[in-house]
Amino acid sequence: MITLDHVTKTFKKGDVVALDDVSVEIGKGEFVFVVGASGSGKSTFIRLLLKDLEPDTGDIIVAGKPLARMKRWRVPALRRQIGCVFQDFKLLEPKTVAENVAFALEVIGKPRSTVQRTVPEVLELVGLAHKADAYPHELSGGEAQRVSIARAFVNRPSILLCDEPTGNLDPTTSVGIMKLLDRINKTGTTVLMAPHDQHIVDAMRRRVVELEDGALVRDQRRGVYGYGA
Amino acid sequence: MGPRVRYALGELLLGLRRNLLMTIATVVTVTVSLALLGAGLLIQQQVDDARERFFAEVEVLIFLDDDVGSEQRAALEDELVNHHLVSHVDYESQEEAFAQFQELFADNPTLLDSVDPEVLPASFRVELVDPEQYAAVASAFEGRPGVEEVSDQREALDRFFAILNGIRNGAVAIAVIQLAAAGALIFNTIRVTAFARREQTGIMKLVGATNWYIRLPFMLEGLVAGVVGALLAGGLLLLAAATILDRVDSQIAFLQVVGVSEVLQLIPLLVVVGAAIAVVSSLLSVRRFLDV
Repeated sequence: MITLDHVTKTFKKGDVVALDDVSVEIGKGEFVFVVGASGSGKSTFIRLLLKDLEPDTGDIIVAGKPLARMKRWRVPALRRQIGCVFQDFKLLEPKTVAENVAFALEVIGKPRSTVQRTVPEVLELVGLAHKADAYPHELSGGEAQRVSIARAFVNRPSILLCDEPTGNLDPTTSVGIMKLLDRINKTGTTVLMAPHDQHIVDAMRRRVVELEDGALVRDQRRGVYGYGA
Repeated sequence: MGPRVRYALGELLLGLRRNLLMTIATVVTVTVSLALLGAGLLIQQQVDDARERFFAEVEVLIFLDDDVGSEQRAALEDELVNHHLVSHVDYESQEEAFAQFQELFADNPTLLDSVDPEVLPASFRVELVDPEQYAAVASAFEGRPGVEEVSDQREALDRFFAILNGIRNGAVAIAVIQLAAAGALIFNTIRVTAFARREQTGIMKLVGATNWYIRLPFMLEGLVAGVVGALLAGGLLLLAAATILDRVDSQIAFLQVVGVSEVLQLIPLLVVVGAAIAVVSSLLSVRRFLDV
């Protein structure tokens, strides 16, 4: 589903190496943690997959599509296959929960009937059907992140990218979010997550890819956050 | 209405409302600039039109010396009649000139009393095959024995046209500056809108909305300002044509002034120019927010 082949990405004309010759393959339906200290290249990794950044060298293949040869006008189609969840939720304040989720469908031109059918479904899935008409400021952090996940998943993408989705949440709430992501993963969606804290990684026992100063230093089935744990 | 259209229209109204003052300023600038541009084009049309008409009727006036002999006169006339650029020659004697002068100033006896018939020169009035060849004919007879002066009607007309051209150039120059200002204002207005919506734009890019879909409401917002401004400019010009020019028209009988119909023909052009500037400015303005 995702292949990186000797990918190197530098910033500031080579002074800062964000990814250093990284090769990794992630299969369909996998749940993968990308771990590493801040600045280790996790965010660059995610942005490369979205074709938000271009690698200096190396090839990236996402959902069967080589990104290097992809035309600019094809990028929206790529992004429709990838759901994104961020630490800061990125919800639109003037819109209700349902409108925020519906927005993701409307702006890619889905007909109103589809929107009206799928939005309640996905809100049900994330457990927020009763908050459909609430505004973002009326939600707790955990609820807001569920809305964000609902929005990322409403178009049934084949890949879900999560950049520290529990970064603003307390441990108990984080567990709920992880359960939700696990459930989404079980529907066949490939989930790639840059976790915020090690407990989650240790508890889930999923594949762990570790980056250190941009280099891939570990790729482990059923891994934990650090070597010592 | 499809979801795409509904989205674009909704965002358009929101943007216009959010920047009401800015939008008004933009529309006013577009209006002023396009009105000036239109005025410039109308003056141009006027000049071309008048030039064509006047020059078509231009005659070479050859004034003769008072003491010109009849033989000399006959030779000149003969030469004129046979000249390949001349279509028709009329001779006007001193007496005829005086008679015409009397007729012209019949209501001014003082002036008539002060002028003797001998003061007015006899002349040939020469119609040309091609009025553009004026200079060739004029120079051929200038300074010839018996010829006192070849009057240069063109020179007088050219001075008149030079003034009109100057006014036109001024109007177009101001119009261009104003249009640049209008473009800058549209650019700025759209940027304010784009900045206010940058979160939304970011999410749209993330979920895979196409760039044109994201651009559309911004473009429409600029377009509305451009087209409304152009229509207002057209309205101003129509008003001017219907009031001011009409009055001028009746006062200067010899000058057929451009009017309402010419302005009506001009309006589509103004709309196109306004729309083009608006669309280009808006697209340049949102480009920064679309860069991935």
